[in-house]
Amino acid sequence: MLKKLNKYFQVANIATRCILMHKLRSALSLCGVMCGVMAVLTMVAIGEGAKEELISRIEQLGTKNIYIKASPLTKAREHDAIEKLSRGLTIYDRGRIKAGCVYVKDIVCVKDVKADIFGVSSDVSPRIMACTSEYAAVQGLQPVLGRFFKPSDVSAGEMVCVIGDSIADRIGADGNVGGHIQIGGHVFKVIGHLGRVEWNPDKNAVISVKNYNEMVFIPLGLDRLFINEASAGSISRLDTLTEMVVAVKDIKHVFDAGDIIKRVLEVTHNGVNDYQVVIPEELLMEARKTQKTFNMVLAAIGSISLLVGGIGIMNIMLATVSERTREIGIRRAVGATKNDIIIQFLAETILLTFSGGIIGVVFGVIVVFFISIFASWPIMITTWAILLPLILSVIIGIFFGLFPAVKASAMDPITALRYE
Amino acid sequence: MSLNLIELNEIDKEYRIGENKLHVLRRVTLHIKSGEFVCVTGPSGSGKSTLLHIIGCLDRPTAGDYLLDGVNVLNAGDESLSRLRSNSLGFVFQTFNLISFLTLLENVELPFLYSDSNIDKKHARQKALSAIKRVGLSDRITHRPFQLSGGEMQRTAIARAIAINPKLILADEPTGNLDSKTGKNILDILKKLHADGTTIMMVTHDMQVASAAQKTIQIQDGSIC
Repeated sequence: MLKKLNKYFQVANIATRCILMHKLRSALSLCGVMCGVMAVLTMVAIGEGAKEELISRIEQLGTKNIYIKASPLTKAREHDAIEKLSRGLTIYDRGRIKAGCVYVKDIVCVKDVKADIFGVSSDVSPRIMACTSEYAAVQGLQPVLGRFFKPSDVSAGEMVCVIGDSIADRIGADGNVGGHIQIGGHVFKVIGHLGRVEWNPDKNAVISVKNYNEMVFIPLGLDRLFINEASAGSISRLDTLTEMVVAVKDIKHVFDAGDIIKRVLEVTHNGVNDYQVVIPEELLMEARKTQKTFNMVLAAIGSISLLVGGIGIMNIMLATVSERTREIGIRRAVGATKNDIIIQFLAETILLTFSGGIIGVVFGVIVVFFISIFASWPIMITTWAILLPLILSVIIGIFFGLFPAVKASAMDPITALRYE
Repeated sequence: MSLNLIELNEIDKEYRIGENKLHVLRRVTLHIKSGEFVCVTGPSGSGKSTLLHIIGCLDRPTAGDYLLDGVNVLNAGDESLSRLRSNSLGFVFQTFNLISFLTLLENVELPFLYSDSNIDKKHARQKALSAIKRVGLSDRITHRPFQLSGGEMQRTAIARAIAINPKLILADEPTGNLDSKTGKNILDILKKLHADGTTIMMVTHDMQVASAAQKTIQIQDGSIC
């Protein structure tokens, strides 16, 4: 065992010396592999970065939640909806879902309100949301000052509001907890401030995440104050909702709950598609899958340059083998087996590609660093991004080193000894 | 009668060059006892080097039997033949055949890299150093082959051959590339090795060199005469 280890050490030692004997040649042939490794690393890092960003975006929605959004209907479909007696997403759907699905923990009802807030400059576009008291808990929002409204506030129709960080900034002293602000001519008491929530505006994002910093929450029911005369014509408008968030008790049942909710809504809405069910967990799984394929494609593109580098190495190794024919003959004469010769040249190739890999990783990390600074792309150097190109560089070494090594071992010892 | 170290029976060797057959060795029968110093002479092209290569397990005969130390080696595979070379045979060539990027000491140590006898690195170095001492090059161990003279290179090659304590040393025109004075020096070393009990088989076309050996075998057109 020790003897064998010693032998491998000596083989590695000789390989290192042979590589160092031709410094320029080795350096040049190593460049190909280095570039390949850099390409693979950069590609994987970009892919992983994109994946992480998408996943974190979806996770912000909450993986235990199911979103039901009212979707606007076209004129023709609106007619169809009236015919089928569907009134859109309403607060009555809440009770039906709660009754029909045992996995549900909470259901939050949300209705968007269109109104101006007094004292807020035009560079901020506040969004006013009327919602039930569970909203904060379901969305993981925690007021830093004051409190969110309680169920009693909602049922009593208290004129209170909770405001986001940017809004609080703009309004100034009136926006302090205990102060009063005007929303669409009505006076609301501020009872809580939300802390600053990290929000990344990205138009290309598949899933948009709400900007809580520019939000004002009022208890559900008070939204009726803002319904103007024109739209108040039909009674259904009063009860319609913009969105419902269903919190599921256990993450295991998210998909089952989703199915049940879809079925309940299909029956109660008489088959009219005036709503949309979004399951973040489902999106997450899909996103993971597509990103995985995407990453593999990126890695494969990077690997092409690694392949080219490997061919360069093979070329050099073939030249080395014929240059060292005599040495091969000598080694055979003093007792090296064919396998010993294969191992020797293979070790040299692998050492060459692996050092190329190491250098490539170092430069790759630098390149990735600069890309993330100058292009401000989300880039993540995962263990995988470093390990994959390194493993590939060794595989390339074995793959392209085998042919020259076998060629060296197959030489007739006598011919090799006489080679000039 | 003591056991023969080498027993060649009816060895034939043919080379095919295209359509033509070249009959290099014809029914060669040769026995060498342990401790002998045998010289094979003959004109160039007579097949003496081929004979040496067959005995050295670097080449295989077309027909015939070869027993090395009582073991039939012709049925052995590449690995066993290589092991045989690394454990029992030492080669000395006309062109020295040292590896240019290794030092003198490393060249002498080379066979231990491939021999399967359980020798650790320290022990191998000791053996290599004592072999170098026997050929009188102890002050040159860190030199590279190109820093040595022809005679020194050949002495290094001899050290490499004897470091493993071989059963047999095979020398192919060991003095061919040397001037007569250095050649004589090399022959003296071989004679001394023989006196110490090493079996040597040498190939040369030089009758004067051949006279150093205990026994001379003439070969002509592939047969012993």
